[in-house]
Amino acid sequence: MDYNAQLKLQAFLDGELSEAEASEVADLVARDRETAALREELRNTGRALAAFEGGIQLPESREFFWSKVQREIQRLEAPAPKFAPAPLFARWRRLLVPASAFALVFVAAVALIQPVGQAGRTSAADVETALADAGAFTYRDYSAGTTLVWLTYPADNEVAESDEMGTVE
Amino acid sequence: MRAAQRGDMAPFEELVARHRDKIYARAYSMMRNEEEAIDLSQEAWVKGWQRLGQFQGESSFGTWMTRIVINLCLDQLRKQKRQRTESIEAMDEESGGVERQMPVITSNPTAGLERAELRQRIDRALGQLSYEHRTVLVLHEFEEMEYKEIAKTMGCSIGTVMSRLFYARRKLAVLLADLKKQDSV
Repeated sequence: MDYNAQLKLQAFLDGELSEAEASEVADLVARDRETAALREELRNTGRALAAFEGGIQLPESREFFWSKVQREIQRLEAPAPKFAPAPLFARWRRLLVPASAFALVFVAAVALIQPVGQAGRTSAADVETALADAGAFTYRDYSAGTTLVWLTYPADNEVAESDEMGTVE
Repeated sequence: MRAAQRGDMAPFEELVARHRDKIYARAYSMMRNEEEAIDLSQEAWVKGWQRLGQFQGESSFGTWMTRIVINLCLDQLRKQKRQRTESIEAMDEESGGVERQMPVITSNPTAGLERAELRQRIDRALGQLSYEHRTVLVLHEFEEMEYKEIAKTMGCSIGTVMSRLFYARRKLAVLLADLKKQDSV
């Protein structure tokens, strides 16, 4: 008995065959002992299963089970909590956190970039003029590690002031 | 039923009380785990309440609720299957044909058993089937679904349903015969 014939026998017992096919299988069962034995086995299994489900009961009391179901239904049906305005400090904090983070990133970026700029300057010499004091000149030589400051003494503005004072006297 | 559909919980509680054992039994026979079966049957009742408006009375309320719990169990079983490695035996089963080598059980292995004992043996035997084979058996034997309906529910072909059902029945017969032998020793 091949596999297809076995499946056909099963379909016959399950009432899934057309009349013509069912009568073919019925003939085979009557003729073939192996087919008849398989039919009996399938029938016995079906009978055993039929007796199985009847006694299964939910192992929780009616009240307890219903209370769980009801609670879950009520939880799902409860309206979503309304949006409460956040306190002033919390709103400020929401703004400050990203701003602080941005500032931190900016400072870090500057700190990373600056040494590179300074390294580029080491080979060259700088001359600075302090704006506050137009009479002072600073010469820096990074390669030699030297700084020189020229001061005119007395400063031009001091000469002018002393002249004015002298005039008053 | 209409009062429950209008949102009245008291008649719905009556429906739960009337059908809760059947819904739980279906979940238990598919899941083989008491806790999971309780949780899934509870979830089914919550879903039932939420979809009560869709119930048109084309089938009985019990049948409609059973379909809900079956779908929940199938979803859960598929999730569990994805999480664990399939056994070699399960792969053999999927490839088909193992049942052809099984000897035909000529004597009835459950003859003369008390109802409680019979139930216990079937319970143990069902527990040894893969979820696909167990489900196909449950849907056919307990839900009396046709092949076509089982195929639709399980998302497979009718041919697959037939071979799974055949394997499940034959394997169950062998397992029940083994249990009989063990008890007689």
